[in-house]
Amino acid sequence: MSGTLGIIVDITLNSLVLGGVFLIVAIGLNIIYGLSRIMNMAHGALYAVGAYIGFSLVASGLNFFAALLIAPLIVGVIGLIIERTIIAPMRKRSMAYTLILTYGLMFFLDGSIKYIWGNKPRFIELPEFMQGTLPILGTDYPVFRLVTLLLIILIMGALMLFLNKTKIGIILRASSTIPEMVSCLGVNMSYVHMGAFVLGCVMAGLAGIIAGPLTTIDPLMGGEMLISSFVVIVIGGLGSLRGAVIAALLVGGVQTLAEFFITDLAMVIVYILMAVILAFMPRGLLGEGKFE
Amino acid sequence: MEKRHKILEIENMQTYYGDSHVIQGLSMHVYEQEAVSIIGRNGAGKTTTLRSIMGLTPPRSGNIFIDGRQTTRWQPHKISRLGVAYVPAERHIFPGLSVEENLRLAARPGSGEDAWTFEKVCEHFPVLADRSHQDGATLSGGQQQTLAIGRALISNPRIIIMDEPSQGLSPILVQTITDVVLKFCVQSGITLLIVEQNYQMALKVASRHYLMDTRGEIVNNMTTRQLEDNPEIIQAHLSV
Repeated sequence: MSGTLGIIVDITLNSLVLGGVFLIVAIGLNIIYGLSRIMNMAHGALYAVGAYIGFSLVASGLNFFAALLIAPLIVGVIGLIIERTIIAPMRKRSMAYTLILTYGLMFFLDGSIKYIWGNKPRFIELPEFMQGTLPILGTDYPVFRLVTLLLIILIMGALMLFLNKTKIGIILRASSTIPEMVSCLGVNMSYVHMGAFVLGCVMAGLAGIIAGPLTTIDPLMGGEMLISSFVVIVIGGLGSLRGAVIAALLVGGVQTLAEFFITDLAMVIVYILMAVILAFMPRGLLGEGKFE
Repeated sequence: MEKRHKILEIENMQTYYGDSHVIQGLSMHVYEQEAVSIIGRNGAGKTTTLRSIMGLTPPRSGNIFIDGRQTTRWQPHKISRLGVAYVPAERHIFPGLSVEENLRLAARPGSGEDAWTFEKVCEHFPVLADRSHQDGATLSGGQQQTLAIGRALISNPRIIIMDEPSQGLSPILVQTITDVVLKFCVQSGITLLIVEQNYQMALKVASRHYLMDTRGEIVNNMTTRQLEDNPEIIQAHLSV
């Protein structure tokens, strides 16, 4: 196999890939929470839907990268339908309403997945060039994981450009701080809430198809990811994008390390990390309730 | 008498804040290009009046007309699009957004060559131009007030609704802000409705004044001249 250096490289890259997937899911959740104060319990299920749609698109002969663009858009359309039908009418009510509604939606989506795709695990067929390994500093690292890492960096870069350079991005950032003033500048806040929800769902779908090749696609993947992404946004601070970046890398790293040394206790160690951080910083690392 | 266009008219407005009946039957009007102030004690309901006009705290009954349109139940963004700009007492500069982003967010094209643009704001407010890349939340109180006014101007509004612009500012800064309001709002033909506890500032910028009692009712409507000739009226309304 490989020496110590190879193991370090393996663990580092695996941490980044896992942390990156957590980050994209968690940021989607955070955008929705930061702008609309909605905790989307169906977020993990939408991530799973993204993975399954990606699987079906590739299985039907579509190029993997084309599927990478189309699957998140389909999840975005599903998100739009969800927002218009069950989220928007509850906007003026307490957060408990959307919490319960999206919790029910999670069961509906999980059930739909089992109905359409069944219980058996699925695998996304990768393009040939992504199936090999590449020698890096004493280890043979899978090419598809490197491509995944690159995609995560591209997605985060695009998201940052969107939030910082476009007018819609500026509106979203302003709306996470003083929404009332944004509406006084002529912005219809119901479109802001709708856009935030759809954007969050697109991120979930994107993470789903990206993570598809990393894990097996099965009906449990959504629930597991929902919990992991909650851990990330709780550690990072609810609504904070920068906090989510730090927390995702932290959780990705700790989980990868823990899996390497004590596989059975990996998740336990992640929860201990969360408990310790919350004991000293009850609002998470960068929790201010705003989003930047 | 000259027949002038009422750009803002309020009829018997009743507004509640939660369970408390803050505005108990308010009627007033503002003519186009007029500068009007509402003077009253703290807690009289001046801010609530402005919030009702803006659609942030809609009245329970009564009517509000802006430019002849019944806007009583309208949402804030629709009212804003009629050309109404709001400068709240808290300034509400967006934290995490640069000075430039705070301005660009509000920018709306105006007609004519002297319409407000980002460049024009920078030209007239060098203090903002120098800090255009700085986080708006890091500005001092006076700079934030300047930015809040600049953000109102850049939307090229027909009416500016301003809540306590002097709040928390030193006397020198109050003078600066007074000059800004006079030059760019009042003398530029933008209709102004201003709420002030600092009645000296109100007398300087507005030409007509509504005196509000603690039940949110208008008890007097006087010109600056009438108020200056009868200072005891102001004392009766503002002294503690």
